[in-house]
Amino acid sequence: MTEQYPFTPPDVSRRSTLRAAGAGALLAGLGGLTGCRSAVSEANSSAKEARSQPKRGGILSVAVNTDFTPSLLFAQSSQSYQHRLLYNTLTRYDDGLKPQPELATSWDYAADGRGITLKLRDDVTYHDGRKFTADDVIFAVKNLQNPVRAAQLRATALAVSGFEKRGDHEVVLKLAHPVANLFDLFEFMIITDRHSVEDAVKGTKLNGTGPFRLKKWSPGSGLSLVRNDAYWQPGRPYLDGVELRVMAQADALVSSLRSGQSQLSYQVPGKSLAAVKGNPDLTITSYDTGDGAAYVGVNTTVAPLDDKTVRQAVAWALDRERIVDQTLGGYGLASAAPWPKSSPAFTEAGRTHYTHNPAKARRLLKSAGLTRLRLPLLHLSLPGETAIAESVQYDLKQVGIAVELQPTDPATAQKKLISQDMPALWTMSHGFAQVQPSTLAVSAYPFNEAKNTSKYHSAAYTKVVREAWTTRDTAGAATNAQYRKISGILLDQAFIIDLAIRGRVQVASKKLHGVTLNKFSYLNLDDAYLV
Amino acid sequence: MRSYLLRRLPSALLVLLLASFLIFAILRLVPGDPASSLAGPDASAATVAAIRERLGLNAPLLTQYTSWIGDLARGDLGPSYAIGGDTADLIRDGLGATVELTLGALLFVILLGTAFGVLGATSRRRWVRGVVRVATTGALAVPPFVTGVLLVLVFAVTLGVLPPGGRVPVLSAPDLGVQYLLLPSLCLALPSAAVLGRYLKDGIERTLAEDYMRTATAAGVTPRRLLWRHAMPNALPPVVTLLGMQTGHLLGGAVLVEAIFAWPGLGQLAEAGLTRRDYPVVQDLLLLLVAVFVLGQLLTDAVYAWLDPRIRWE
Repeated sequence: MTEQYPFTPPDVSRRSTLRAAGAGALLAGLGGLTGCRSAVSEANSSAKEARSQPKRGGILSVAVNTDFTPSLLFAQSSQSYQHRLLYNTLTRYDDGLKPQPELATSWDYAADGRGITLKLRDDVTYHDGRKFTADDVIFAVKNLQNPVRAAQLRATALAVSGFEKRGDHEVVLKLAHPVANLFDLFEFMIITDRHSVEDAVKGTKLNGTGPFRLKKWSPGSGLSLVRNDAYWQPGRPYLDGVELRVMAQADALVSSLRSGQSQLSYQVPGKSLAAVKGNPDLTITSYDTGDGAAYVGVNTTVAPLDDKTVRQAVAWALDRERIVDQTLGGYGLASAAPWPKSSPAFTEAGRTHYTHNPAKARRLLKSAGLTRLRLPLLHLSLPGETAIAESVQYDLKQVGIAVELQPTDPATAQKKLISQDMPALWTMSHGFAQVQPSTLAVSAYPFNEAKNTSKYHSAAYTKVVREAWTTRDTAGAATNAQYRKISGILLDQAFIIDLAIRGRVQVASKKLHGVTLNKFSYLNLDDAYLV
Repeated sequence: MRSYLLRRLPSALLVLLLASFLIFAILRLVPGDPASSLAGPDASAATVAAIRERLGLNAPLLTQYTSWIGDLARGDLGPSYAIGGDTADLIRDGLGATVELTLGALLFVILLGTAFGVLGATSRRRWVRGVVRVATTGALAVPPFVTGVLLVLVFAVTLGVLPPGGRVPVLSAPDLGVQYLLLPSLCLALPSAAVLGRYLKDGIERTLAEDYMRTATAAGVTPRRLLWRHAMPNALPPVVTLLGMQTGHLLGGAVLVEAIFAWPGLGQLAEAGLTRRDYPVVQDLLLLLVAVFVLGQLLTDAVYAWLDPRIRWE
């Protein structure tokens, strides 16, 4: 028999094993290069150093799933967290939609609704040292009037027909007609440096008056901001800096929070919230003001959906509570109407106008002469959106409507939405219900009275929307009656069938305090600190 | 040689030209467009039209194409439509990150592959060989998206010794950069290391069974010297060839690993560009890949021609 090895092979002795293990440890411990920093402790050190009470110092790391998109600086996008860190707005809403001073210290809205006088802070400077003046406000409004900026509140900006400057810190905005959502505009409109706005939309220079200055933007990695020591709020901000880290994959984002690398995120998907909920170092806070709503859109020109009875049958067939539980991790509000609880248009009757009632849905379909139906449903090819579409598909199947899912990438879906090229049904999310109700109908395309994806037109809808938008008052019996009329038309006509108000869910380290968001999800860290 | 290369150059340029045309055309055929993507779901038709005009998308396609190629010829890759910044900067940064990740993975492939190969071939202990066999089978069988999640769970979440994702460039801060690099490069390296280890094990076993090894042993050469000075040099050539091929796999596999570890490389850039219909970024990136391939072919042809003079005169 031939011996395979005609010699004693160089075996791995205990000593050599130990040497190899040592070498391995050296490799694995590259992070421990003598005297070097640890990437983990580097991320956590700021938090550990602080003790209690608001304290200066520390770098806050925010995990985001999308990078900053400079070309969308003036539009509402899914990632607007840095807006209020780098810039300020004229006013900010409190929880009851009552405007509070920010760069504007006071305002006087003319009784006839044809103008508003703004008094501005005189102690504000941009990051480059230039003084903030009324000219910057005039520029900001004109900038949003430019269609290239893709600002959803452009219609409101266009209502400003003239400007009257009274010194450097007072300005009158003349209005073509009264505007109900003027303070939505002031909440939305960031005050940028008029001399470098073209650099700002390229992402090369972000010169604002906000609490933090841009240190570096690394496309794909995120933003790095440092404290603005000349910030107009004395003693603020507490933090030394903020890092917005891009974690496009949900698992990476959740790991970043669980490992302590990041201390804050608003983009943990519903299905992952359960995993985060049990973590003793993290807290979950739900903003019930909401920043969007999941809906099923209906193309009213496709038979038999041109019959509102069929649309209503679809609305009755959907189990909104299950959608909230299973696809949003229980964080959301099942609602047939678009309004969050904080909205002046919210009513419990509207929210529960359609509940899960398959029997009623079948009866309505039968009354429309239908027993079986086959419809396509477009949805975004993203995990959360697919889950919602599958829930809708299941519910509609129970009432005899076979749904063929059409997963579509976001860019294509967006084009179809804007160009009114949607199939019979689609499911997406809409924004703008969290502010003045009239904003939804003039600035959110799916609800737009003049032109919408559903191709729904009605003189009554146009009339009530225009009336609600062009009133000076945002509260009172008459205004509330108009809101009820808008809700009534939306629910009765069911061209947009709301499913759930998506509350903004904040997952934060227990060491972090004082974080707030504005109504357009601009992160406010003026008072934030790490303990 | 120079005349041979000059003869090859026109065909290479033609390939690049045809590729540029195809890339340009295919991107325009994909549904969705940059303007509506930028404008967002609540945009009006006026907004979309204004953005189209600003991006130059209303110009005839031929004008858009010639403008792109003309700018490219001048070395101007232009601004990105949606991602932001200059396309050249985006590609440079992405390329740097991907190359860094690939080199880190290559280092792991060499170290782990060698360890697997040597231990698997030379250990007298059956359990050591068994462990190596199981480890290489596992590394080959488990896909990187599972390995990646497990690595993050163990080293970042449970032990908390390494960051779960992100990147600090190694050249700008070596101490931090290496820590960010460890997990993604290990995740990327494992399948290739397993393949390399198995090839090396077979090579070492074959070499050790040769007669001259017996002679060397009889002459009193120590087992260590026998392995590292005689067996390894003979077992390595096919492994080095394999390593070259695995480098291509590593570059391809980096796309997935980049997503798991939030590593801002070319894969992430391509995904972001395609999702947002950022034509300049995607066009330039794809053309760069074609150019690298064409250049590689040109170099290969040149080496062949250098090695075999007959090819130069064909």
